[in-house]
Amino acid sequence: MDLKAAVTRARRGLREERGLYLVAVSSLAVAFLCLAGVLLATQNLSTMAARWGQSGRVSVYLAGDASPDDVTKLEGLLRGLPDVARVEHVTSAQARADFLEHADVGAALGQLPPEAFPASLEVTLAPSATAQRVDAIAGRVKSFAAVTDVETYRGWFDQLDTLVSAGRVAAIVLAALVALCVLAVIGNTIRLAVARRRQEIEVMKLCGATDGFVRGPLVLEGTFQGFVAAVIAILVLMVGFLALKDPINATVAALIGVRVAFLSSWMVVAVIVGGAVIGAAGSALSVRRYLDV
Amino acid sequence: MSREDFGEEGARPFAFFRAGARAEPGVANKPILVLEDVYKYFRVDQPTLRGVNLTVERGEFVFVTGPSGAGKSTLLQLIYRKHTVDDGRILFSGRDIARLTERSIPYLRRNLGIVFQDFKIIGHWTVFENVAIALEILSMPRRLVRARVAEALERVGLSGRGDALTDTLSGGEQQRVAVARAIVTEPALILADEPTGNLDPHLAIDVLTLFEEINATGTTVLFATHDHSLIAKRDHRLVSIDEGRVVESRRGLTTWAGGLHSVGG
Repeated sequence: MDLKAAVTRARRGLREERGLYLVAVSSLAVAFLCLAGVLLATQNLSTMAARWGQSGRVSVYLAGDASPDDVTKLEGLLRGLPDVARVEHVTSAQARADFLEHADVGAALGQLPPEAFPASLEVTLAPSATAQRVDAIAGRVKSFAAVTDVETYRGWFDQLDTLVSAGRVAAIVLAALVALCVLAVIGNTIRLAVARRRQEIEVMKLCGATDGFVRGPLVLEGTFQGFVAAVIAILVLMVGFLALKDPINATVAALIGVRVAFLSSWMVVAVIVGGAVIGAAGSALSVRRYLDV
Repeated sequence: MSREDFGEEGARPFAFFRAGARAEPGVANKPILVLEDVYKYFRVDQPTLRGVNLTVERGEFVFVTGPSGAGKSTLLQLIYRKHTVDDGRILFSGRDIARLTERSIPYLRRNLGIVFQDFKIIGHWTVFENVAIALEILSMPRRLVRARVAEALERVGLSGRGDALTDTLSGGEQQRVAVARAIVTEPALILADEPTGNLDPHLAIDVLTLFEEINATGTTVLFATHDHSLIAKRDHRLVSIDEGRVVESRRGLTTWAGGLHSVGG
């Protein structure tokens, strides 16, 4: 197939059917926008989960009758572990003072005695600490008599992991739906274009055109539609992201400690290339039935 | 002959037989078209063509006539493989075209120029584009395409009209565009299926003359028509088909037993 001739004829096809293709590209752009939006949300949730998982912390609650020697020994032991970055001893009185200072509580809670706030060792974990190693540290520390409880905050992480996993599944399902949607829209658009160009195709076939010669420009047109729709979707998403980034970072991100980021470069490329490939496939499938002249 | 003419045997069984080109020894001596006991059924109980035998020599001009529904168009459609014979053989330059694979059919059609009653030209394309498409299919360089199209347009009397949209042309001019498209590749055989059917008698004679001029350069022409006034004006070989059978095949209507009225149509 002569690629240059195919490109020339595809350009002519796009020009002649521009109204039809404009509608198709708009519909496809909406579909790709939904997909890219879910990918963006999933990517940021993943980043958040990773960040929280890395900056994990463990609270080791001490028994009321724990001797200073036991606490010092335990502190030393924790400091010696490679996954531990920092250990801070918080006494019962400090815990009560911190609570009253940071929490907006009524007068009744302010009357609580220091014994209601157990002393603890606040352990900051190294970024390399994995969930399995944190669980191992917690299990080992729990065996000490001076320790009443260990809080690893794994419950929060597990919930976040579940949320991220759900987001990933949603993204996969949505990607499949978008692929079907794109195939259908491009397939029907090309089918309509082919029906309108049936006489051209007939003439070409009667002059000795191969199926590839007839199909080539139509596949290029489908590829172009998918490509343009994906690019538009990415651009719209980027505009929306830039508009909302600062307010989000000022509120939500301040609370969760993670700044939102746009889709990674490879993901942008994947969406655009995917759009073009699906466009080509939809076009090739729909034109097949019209080649029998 | 170009390298493309001798492509893969399975995909390209036909060399590109240009009119006037020196054919391979052996092929040159064979008739360009032979139909042997050809049957075509569109309904099981009523064959459209029944046992058609016909031989067309290189460089001949043959009228194919007969009443509507006699099978003239079907005969031509079998030659350009729109349909396949149900029985018998059609040999084009010695090759049985019924045995061609689907992928090979385009290479057969590149050796044929086909002209239709309804012109089959694209109205929103220019005259140049309508003619050039036949050469673009052959991947001919753009410069050569321009030269060959200009030459073909000159031959059909449309010189300098390349930029005109075909929608703006008269019926006669549109048929000339179709003829230019058919001859631009210089095919060995032209199949004209009622090419004057939509034209008034004066234009019909013009178009017939055009085909005769093309035939004079060595191109074989199979001209299907039911217009006796056209046939009567020329002394070409005449093949009459009636109810799917070739009932007579002779040179010139003047030699026809019973004269004009004995010819179907």
